[in-house]
This record gives sequence, C-alpha cells and structure tokens, in this order.
Amino acid sequence: MFDPLTLIYLVIPLVGGILLGFLLRNRNLPRLDKASLVVVVILIFSLGFGIGSNNELLSSLPQVGIQGLVIAALAVLFSIVFVKAGQKIVTKA
Amino acid sequence: MIKYILAALILGGVAGYLNNNLLTVVPNSMIAEQLFTVALIAILFVFGFSFAQDRNAMEKIRKTGFRIVAFPLLVALGSLVGGLFAGLLLQISVGGAMAVSSGFGWYTLSGPMMGQLLGPKWGTLGFTANFFRELLTITTIPLMVKLYRYAPVASGGGTTMDTTLGVIVRYCGKDVLIIAFSNGLILSIIAPFATVAFASLA
Repeated sequence: MFDPLTLIYLVIPLVGGILLGFLLRNRNLPRLDKASLVVVVILIFSLGFGIGSNNELLSSLPQVGIQGLVIAALAVLFSIVFVKAGQKIVTKA
Repeated sequence: MIKYILAALILGGVAGYLNNNLLTVVPNSMIAEQLFTVALIAILFVFGFSFAQDRNAMEKIRKTGFRIVAFPLLVALGSLVGGLFAGLLLQISVGGAMAVSSGFGWYTLSGPMMGQLLGPKWGTLGFTANFFRELLTITTIPLMVKLYRYAPVASGGGTTMDTTLGVIVRYCGKDVLIIAFSNGLILSIIAPFATVAFASLA
C-alpha cells in the first residue's frame, strides 16, 4: 500500500483540471496540447533518470521487460476475448 | 511524439546513470523525485483540463450513445482480467499487475503514476507493459484484423484515440473511426482512476 498522501497530489490536479476545463469550456482558450508535449518530455526524462540512477533497478531491467510483455500480451488477449463475447451476446439478443 | 518520448527516456536514463556512477552534478532525488513529482502534477492537471475542455470529444461520445460505451468497458474488464492472470503467472502482486494493466496502453501516464504510487520498479513496469501494448497493437494489426474486425480497437485500449487511430482506421475501415476514438477517450478517462484504485490493493 502506498502513502495515502500520494493520492492527494495525484487526484487533486486531475479532478481540478477536469473541473476547471469544464467550467471554462465555453471560452476560447489556447489548447494545451503543445505545452503538454513539453511537460511529458520532462516527465519521461525524469522517469528515465530515476531508472538510470538506480543500479539495483538497472540490473533487474531484463526481468521487468519480460513481466511487461506478459502483462501486455494477456491484457490484449482478454480485451479482445471480452469484446468479441460481448458482441456475440448483443447480436444474439 | 513517440520519438521524443523514447529520446527523453534514454537521455534521462543515461544522465541518471552518469550522475549516479561517474560525476554527481545534482542529487539524484532532485530529478528522480522532485522534478518528477512536479511534472506529474502538471501533466495530470493538463490532461484533465484538455479532456473537459474538448467539447467535440464529449459530443462524439454522446452521439454514439450507450452501445459504444459498452465497448471500452469490456476492454477495461478484459485488461484487468489479463493483469490478474499475469500477476498470478509471474507471481508478483496481483493488485500491482492490475494497476499496470489499467494503463490501457497509456505508458506516459502509467509509468510515472505507478512510479509515484509503488516505487521505481513498478514505474518501469508500468511504462514497459503499456509501451508493449501499443507496440503489439501496431505490429499485429494486419494479422488481428483478419481474425476479428474490432480486435485492433480492443487491443489498442486507450491509445485508439490518438497514437494508433491512424493505423486502425487504415486497416479496419473508416466506419471504425468513431468507435475507436470514443473507446480511446473513455479508457483514457478511466485509466488514472483505475490505476490508483488497483495500486491501493497492491
């Protein structure tokens, strides 16, 4: 379990952004898409930095890669199976 | 966009490695923790803001109606079941694996969020697993579409509103556009909340 305090600074900006965007949706504001690419690049740089500066994590990278592949493959497989099953139920009904 | 992100990840990794093992210019925690946290807070705000501000997106969902909402919900359910089995198979925390699969392919969100919630190892896994999901989708679209027409949309998860939308429409046909877009949008809205919810079970 993570520190519950973490939640506060993850959920507050997300919900705050949604509320503010909703309130201001009728104004002609500049889209934030360009700014968001800059922030994403900074964010991923600092994520990479955290990985690179952690020798223990670097040595477990091959194992994490395999785990990532297994999670991705199973998530894809079951997503397709569920959608296909759902469609069958709908078309039969 | 993907080339900027991969370049940022690799440059960050090299910079972090050099800073840690050769010459320490700044304390590791300053970039890996403080800058990281500030950027994550900023990006969550920007994502939330852009979603709510985009009236066309909301309108598209409303027009397509309830039937199309069922599609992303089934994809979400399938992803979570996939994460559950992956967790059991790999003998890692099942809640953690499900939180990772809750990224629905959105690696720029899942990586940093998982890192913030459960630590750098989970952050790396969140990035890798969701990156592979996008990669798997793009590389196997021609094959998937032969087996089942909507398989690429289910496979792409949250990425079908932007990064994989173009390829999906090319292979699945123009009439898949609306379902692919709304699928990606709804999953992207669910992703951060589902990630937090399942990480709390880890």
